Amino acid sequence: MTKTGTDFKPEEVMISCIAREIKNGDVLAQGIATPLVASGYILAKMTHAPDSVFLYTIGNTLSRDAGKVALSTYEDLSIGRALKQISFTDISCEILSAVKPKEFFRPAQIDKWGNFNNIVIGDYYKPKVRLPGCAGIADVTTYYENIYLYVPRHNKNTFVEKIDFVSGVGYLSGESQAEREKLGVISPGPKKIITDLCVFGFVEGRVALESLHPGVSLQEVIDNTGFEIIIPDKIVETQPPTAEELDLLRNVIDPYGVRELELLSGKKRLAKIREIYKQEIGA
Amino acid sequence: MEGKLMTLTEAAQLVKDGDLIGLGGMTLYRRPIAFVHELIRQAKKNLTLLAFTGGFESDLLVGAGCVSTVRSCYFGLESFGLAPMFKRRVEAGEVKVLEETESSIAFGLRAGLANVGFMPARSLFGTDFFKVREDIKVVECPYTGEKYTAFPAIRPDVAVIHSQLSDKFGNCILEGEHCVDKELALGAKTTIITAEKIVDTEEIIKRQADIVEFEVNAVVELPKGAHPTSCYPDYPVDVEHILEYIELCEEGKFEEYLQKYVLGVKKHKEYLERVGKND
Repeated sequence: MTKTGTDFKPEEVMISCIAREIKNGDVLAQGIATPLVASGYILAKMTHAPDSVFLYTIGNTLSRDAGKVALSTYEDLSIGRALKQISFTDISCEILSAVKPKEFFRPAQIDKWGNFNNIVIGDYYKPKVRLPGCAGIADVTTYYENIYLYVPRHNKNTFVEKIDFVSGVGYLSGESQAEREKLGVISPGPKKIITDLCVFGFVEGRVALESLHPGVSLQEVIDNTGFEIIIPDKIVETQPPTAEELDLLRNVIDPYGVRELELLSGKKRLAKIREIYKQEIGA
Repeated sequence: MEGKLMTLTEAAQLVKDGDLIGLGGMTLYRRPIAFVHELIRQAKKNLTLLAFTGGFESDLLVGAGCVSTVRSCYFGLESFGLAPMFKRRVEAGEVKVLEETESSIAFGLRAGLANVGFMPARSLFGTDFFKVREDIKVVECPYTGEKYTAFPAIRPDVAVIHSQLSDKFGNCILEGEHCVDKELALGAKTTIITAEKIVDTEEIIKRQADIVEFEVNAVVELPKGAHPTSCYPDYPVDVEHILEYIELCEEGKFEEYLQKYVLGVKKHKEYLERVGKND
């Protein structure tokens, strides 16, 4: 029996959940500014998936090296320790469609079918908030086989009845696989949504509760989700991170807490960046 | 000057108002910052910015009012957050966005290079992209009958790529993220290389060029020309400088930043002195 860690934060549970979705030998694509995902990949690599290969967006490289997650020294790992340098043109036009790596996306909005948005909040032509854009999400979610979503701040701004722009393909409106293919979509749809409160799966294309993180109540999840979720008869608890996982994460993979940036905004985020940077240049 | 070597001022004069301009590098990595400064000093107007990823350099250019349309699939400052001036100008309706994806730009550039009208891909189906990109058509595969998205060819007027090493002819080395730089350089009508260092052609031959001289119209030597973005392995991202920029923008003081580091500076050397990097 593995020893369970006793004191952990929500982001540490998320990272552990991400790591457990990785199988040995997976090719893992890592997007821009996603240290939670990077931490999960490295954790899997250091535990049960030593032969996974990373496709780094920052670096445009393929690598089998697992080091630290970093803010200012990221390229030392992603480029300095790469197996192969590729151009982004090759990644977009060949590698992604040929290899179909596993990838975790962080939506700004998600609906009950797992369709998601990273473009704008509000009207497209008069946006309330202009977001960075969806990068390659509208390309790959039409054909990837292993799509996962994650939400570091589970609330009603993210889980909404109607999203303002569909830039990531979920289960559309619940069409069958044959109907999806007629529409040009060959992907089966996302597998899971990992949040700071729970893990969702999908039942007939609809968002359904899979497990609650330790200490989180069902009511908390319902209150923070802007649409009706499918609730199973028997509710299980998310397996907490092990003592070994927590030790690796805190002392080896991310000693300066880069992962926390995904949970912070505004001045708090800038202050945390300064703090991490001081430690990185001092190291 | 010899070969295609030019001053920064001369090279920037090759960019015309209204051009479709592609800037090399990715978000915070190997961006042609010094060249962007000069575009702002020359007060370029109505540029359409082709930014596979728009980062610090693009935010400056958009903030300074040089850009009327942005073509991008990601415009942000990575872990630092949203790009403040892009966000502000788009939300105010001052800049238009032509919504792109990684594939729409990558396949678009490849179509331009192949001298065909489009390249097919499996992208966009099931999304709202077709509502905001009515110019993108769907084609039927003549062999399988499947539907494909037909990404239209992209042919930039100008490409500006910052390189670690170049010779005076424009044969140059790109280290770190190649992004879509090689396609930009090969496909653009005018290609400008800014380089950390100008070296003898023999140095390029030893390592093999990523961009070859016939693709290039101008070469400018600009040490630390990517600051505050990184130029791997020579220097990393200047975190403090980017934080200063974000904080000024958040206080509504973009103009102050521009005066301090761009408009109030005549030459790149003076900028390096101002940021304490003139060593």
